[in-house]
Amino acid sequence: MAFPLPRGITPSEISFLAEMETVTILPRQRLEGLELLGGPVEPLLPPRRASLPLWLALLLKRQRRANILPPPWLHPESLELILEIETKNDEYQHAFSPPPPLPGQPTPRDRRPPTTRPHYTPDGEKYYPAPPFLPQNTARDHIPPGEPPALPFHWLEVGTMLLEAASDDLVEPDQTRRLLKELREVRMAKIRSGVDVLDAAAMGGGGVALTGVGAMELGEGRRFIAGVVDGLRRIGASKEQARREEMAEEMANGGYDGTQDYEDGEMEF
Amino acid sequence: MSYYDIDAILTDSQKLPCTFELEVPGLGILEGNPGENIKAGTRIDLPLWLGEMLSIGARLGTSRLVTLDLPSALSERVMNALKADPRTVELRSLAPHFYSLSERILELFEEEEMVEVLSNTFKKRSAEIADHAHNPQGALGQGADFLRGLDETERQLFRVAHDSAKETRIWAGEAKKK
Amino acid sequence: MYGEHGNKLVQHAKRTQALTHLPPYQTELVRAVAREVRDLDRDVAHLLSQFEGSFNPSQEPAIACALLVDHLCMRRNKRCLLAYHRVRAEKLEELCWTGVDLLEQQLPTAEEGAGGTSGQGMGGHVAMSSASGNHSSLSPEEEEYFRQYSDLLAAYKGQWTDIDLTGSLEPPKDLFIDVRVLKDAGEIQTEYGVINLTKNSQLYVRQGDVERLIAQGFLERLG
Repeated sequence: MAFPLPRGITPSEISFLAEMETVTILPRQRLEGLELLGGPVEPLLPPRRASLPLWLALLLKRQRRANILPPPWLHPESLELILEIETKNDEYQHAFSPPPPLPGQPTPRDRRPPTTRPHYTPDGEKYYPAPPFLPQNTARDHIPPGEPPALPFHWLEVGTMLLEAASDDLVEPDQTRRLLKELREVRMAKIRSGVDVLDAAAMGGGGVALTGVGAMELGEGRRFIAGVVDGLRRIGASKEQARREEMAEEMANGGYDGTQDYEDGEMEF
Repeated sequence: MSYYDIDAILTDSQKLPCTFELEVPGLGILEGNPGENIKAGTRIDLPLWLGEMLSIGARLGTSRLVTLDLPSALSERVMNALKADPRTVELRSLAPHFYSLSERILELFEEEEMVEVLSNTFKKRSAEIADHAHNPQGALGQGADFLRGLDETERQLFRVAHDSAKETRIWAGEAKKK
Repeated sequence: MYGEHGNKLVQHAKRTQALTHLPPYQTELVRAVAREVRDLDRDVAHLLSQFEGSFNPSQEPAIACALLVDHLCMRRNKRCLLAYHRVRAEKLEELCWTGVDLLEQQLPTAEEGAGGTSGQGMGGHVAMSSASGNHSSLSPEEEEYFRQYSDLLAAYKGQWTDIDLTGSLEPPKDLFIDVRVLKDAGEIQTEYGVINLTKNSQLYVRQGDVERLIAQGFLERLG
């Protein structure tokens, strides 16, 4: 094929998409509001904080027109806590630390199920926003006590880009860099050792949960994991085929197929 | 698509034992004796593309003209070796396209235990491949032997794992683009 | 054993997939495979000739078997030939998209074959006749395919002048970049004005304007 890139998405493409994440900045100059294709950008009136897409925030930072306020998870304390969960917590030995809750998802603290207003497209269809359109990377002043820190979907990309362009805006950048690297290694090792459970994904109707895995990590593991699952599928293909033929035969012969809710006998008076 | 797929074509060129139940004149070339007849009961190693269709297509009344056997790459001896330690078996020397061959063979023969053994083999070896791909010095010593024994499917898996890891490292600034 | 030549062709194809250039066309192998198919066809005709159109397979299982073998071998050879040519054609297309001019690359070997007569108005494409000992990597049909595909691609690209379809697939990181000029290239026109490309000078320019020049080796990106 003439297209040179392999299947899937490259790291620079993942990083490019992550640049759509919203971050908080502290402008140093006034700037008029902008009507961008992705949505309007509010006018910048220092010293008022503003929310911008990351790519614009990085551009302004490089031009020294703004400072970036890091999100609460990008802090050595938060990262240490998350690293502890990843390595020491028994529950997460083979799983990943939980991601930040999605809007509408109950958190352990809620006593009642949360009510969120649904989002609608201009055509009136309901949709559920997902990263990079969730406020997972904006700065927050007050974090309720007991809320655990969590790595958002684009943690590695946002973390790397902020360290590269705005390390002076971060708390202890060297420590942060070291912790991000360690987190990355620990989590990639988990993906590699998880090869064993992939046959659950290869069976018809089965699957493996990848809750909490980040975008760059998915990108790195995608081709390998897909390759393993496909290989297992092909080895078991004849067996799967036989199983399906058996099931089809049973259903054709009027066998119990698990969808009948009542026995025929109950219908009689 | 798989008509043009090079790996599928090469897989089909791998051989399996075929027994002719009847005398067939003039096909001696299959044994390397051009012009001769093939006697009944002769067992020849024929490539999959020929053996499979002969077994399905050629009939003597209702019974087959040609019957097939498992290739040596998937013999009981090999299965036992794989059950013992799948990582030490050199799949490539058994058959360069080992897994694809087994896929085709499992279409022709019912071997439930083989499916189990091969799935387990594939999983264990894939985990090993992942470790080698991540570890840059994996090509030395024991690692080199293991990597040499990989069949074609595993080789592609290794390449993919290695390339993805390298791409991400380059992006993160931990390695230089050549 | 039938199909041996076909197998070799397919192995050549497998190797080609991993390369960044096109190895020489296997004319002799291709001819051998085609010859085998003709021989098999003759064998089929010979086997059937004694029946004069009324062949009953169930009455003659052995002949049926021989016919089946001949037929399967012919089909196998066909598949090998088609796959070999398709892999090479795909490689040609790939090279076309990256801007390589394969036809230009074939010229030096033709000149060597002609006894070292150097550039006396031998510009353009030299006629590659097999009589003069063609050492090119491409078969004549492949050269024609490449020529026509290039034209097709150029016509397709020409529809959009402000985007280069064969350009870089890297997402943009910076709007403006620092570059150094490696070769003198005169003046180039951009949306913001004219840029003068004198060797060793450094410029701060829009990435979109200079991508092509970096790919062609006129500029070097800094930082």
